[in-house]
Amino acid sequence: MTISAKSISLELGGKKILNNISMDVRPGEILSIIGPNGAGKTSLLNVLSGNIKSHNGNVSYNNTPLESISIQERAYIRSVMSQFQSIAFDYSVEDILQMGWLDHSHKDIKEDLSAFQNQVIKECDMENLIHQKFNTLSGGEQRRVHFARTLLQLWQPANTKDQNYLLLDEPFSNLDLVHKVKMMESIKAKASSGTGILMILHDLNLAYSFSDKILLLKNGRVIEQGETKKMLSARLLARAYETFISIDENPINIRYY
Amino acid sequence: MESIRKLSFQTSQFFSFVSKNQILLMSLLFMSMIFFSLLAITFGSYGLSIVDFLLGKTSDIQNTVLTEIRLPRVILSGLAGASLGISGAALQGLFRNPLADPGLIGVSAGAALGATLMIVLGGDIFSQYSLGVFFIPLAAIAGSSLVILMLYFMTKGFGYEGVTYMLLVGIAINAIAGVGIGILTYISSDSELRSLTFWTMGSFGGVTWPLLIPVILIIALAIIIMIPYSRQLDLLQLGEPEAFRLGVDVQKLKYTIILTCAASVGASVALSGMIGFVGLIVPHLTRLLGGVNHNYVLPGSALMGAALMIIADLIARIIIQPAELPIGLITSAIGSPFFLWLIFKIKKL
Repeated sequence: MTISAKSISLELGGKKILNNISMDVRPGEILSIIGPNGAGKTSLLNVLSGNIKSHNGNVSYNNTPLESISIQERAYIRSVMSQFQSIAFDYSVEDILQMGWLDHSHKDIKEDLSAFQNQVIKECDMENLIHQKFNTLSGGEQRRVHFARTLLQLWQPANTKDQNYLLLDEPFSNLDLVHKVKMMESIKAKASSGTGILMILHDLNLAYSFSDKILLLKNGRVIEQGETKKMLSARLLARAYETFISIDENPINIRYY
Repeated sequence: MESIRKLSFQTSQFFSFVSKNQILLMSLLFMSMIFFSLLAITFGSYGLSIVDFLLGKTSDIQNTVLTEIRLPRVILSGLAGASLGISGAALQGLFRNPLADPGLIGVSAGAALGATLMIVLGGDIFSQYSLGVFFIPLAAIAGSSLVILMLYFMTKGFGYEGVTYMLLVGIAINAIAGVGIGILTYISSDSELRSLTFWTMGSFGGVTWPLLIPVILIIALAIIIMIPYSRQLDLLQLGEPEAFRLGVDVQKLKYTIILTCAASVGASVALSGMIGFVGLIVPHLTRLLGGVNHNYVLPGSALMGAALMIIADLIARIIIQPAELPIGLITSAIGSPFFLWLIFKIKKL
C-alpha cells in the first residue's frame, strides 16, 4: 500500500525535467522533497497526482496503476495542495472549503459534512474567517483555507479506513510562526492516523525536524533519498545547493509549542 | 467503499450546496416569469384576456392572435432570455472570467452568420425536406460552436490570464461575422432576409410554431444537460489542475459546456437574432441577489433571463404602439453602461 513511482522520466518542450526517478510515499510516513529551484519538485508532484503524464515509467496508487483508476476515484485516494491563483468570483471561505467535500453516497451527507467541517475549521483556526469572502483574505489565510479543504477531501465514513495520501506543495509559504506550527501538527496527526504525507519544502530546518524521510532532488535526478538521520550530511546538501552548508547542533533551543 | 466511488457526483450533490434562500429566490424568479408571461400574453396592440380565453368567451380571431402570434412570441422571448442567461453564466464560469458574454465574445455573431448563410445560400432546401425547419437552427449552432472552439484554441484553454485577449478575439470575430452578414444581405433578395436590423438588433416577431418547436427542444435539452455540471463549474474556479485533483474530468466538462452553450445560443439566435448584453447582465444580477455558486447561478440565470426578456419584449411592443422597438436596442441601451461599470469595478479589484 503506497503511492509508488517507478523510473519516472519527463520532458517538457525538449527539456528533461525528471530523469529516472523511483520513490514511494508510504502510509503513516512524512516524506519531504527538498532541492534547489528548478530541480523538478513540483513536476514530480504533478506526475504523482496524475496531472501530468510521464513519458517513461509508471505511477501506482495502492498497487493499482494510475491509468486504471478513474479521475473521480483518484480524488478519494489523494488530496493535493498546490500553489494557487486568484479566484474570479466572490466565493465565501465556506464555499471554498466545501469544494473539498467529495460525494459520499449516504443519506446524512449534511450532518457528516457539517460535523467534519467544524472539526477542520477548529483545527485550522478558521472560526473568524469562515464567513468572509475568500478574495479578501491575506495570502497566509488563503493557504490555511486551501489546507483545510485538502483535509476535508480526505474525509471517510466512520466504518471505512481506506489508505489515503496528502501531497503538499510548499504548504507553509506565507504562514506566520503560530500557524506554521499548527499546520505542522495537523500534518503529523494525519500521518499518525495512517495517511501517507509528501511535502515539498524549502526550509531545510523544517524539513529535517519534521520528516521521517527526505528525498533530495537536483536537475531532475534523485541525489539521495532515505531516513532523515541518514540524509543529514553537510557534504550532501552542499552538493545539491552548490553552496557552503554547515550543520550545527542548535545551542539555544527555541521551542514554539 | 466501491459503491461510493461509482456514484456520479455532479447530480447527487446538487441540492447539498444550494441554500434555502437560494431556493426561495429561484421560486420567486419562477413565479415572476409566469406572471410576466401572463402580462405579456394579455397586453399588446390587440387587447386579449386570458380569463375569457380559458372560459371560451373569445372570438376566433382573438384565439388565433393568442395561440398563433402572442403565445409563440412570449415563449420565444422567454427561451431566448433563458438560453442567453444560462450560457452567459456557464461561459463566465468556464472562462473564469466575469466579462464573458455570448454576444461580446462573438458566439452570437457566429450563430447569426451561420443562420444567414443557410437562409441565403441554402434557400431552396427547406421546402424540399420535412426536417428543413431544423436547418437554420443547426446552421446557427454550427456557427456558434465554431466560434467557441476558436476561442478555446486561441486562448489556450481559457486560462484566467487570457481575459483581455479573449475579448479582443471576440471583437475580431464580431467584425468578421458583421462583414459576412453584410455581404450576404447585399447579395440576397428582400424575401430571403427579413432585414439586416433583425440580425443586429434582434426581434421576437413573426415566429411560428413549426420554427419554434425545434428551438424549444434544443434549448430545453441544452439546459437539462448543463445544470448537473454546476458543481464541477464551481470546482473549476480553483483552476484546472485543482479541479482535476478533486475528481473533475476537465476535458469532458469543457466540451459539454461549449456544446450546450453553442446549441442554446445558436438555437435562440436562429429565431431572434443577436440580442446583446443579456448574457452579461443576467448572471451578474443573479449573483448579486443570491450568491456565486453555480448550483444557484445557472438555473437562477435561466429563470431571471426568461423573466427579464419577457417583460423587456412587452415594453418593446407597447411603448410606441402600434410600432415596436427592436428588443436588442433596449438590452444594449441598458447593457452597455452596465458593461462599462463592470470593467471599472473589476479594475478596482
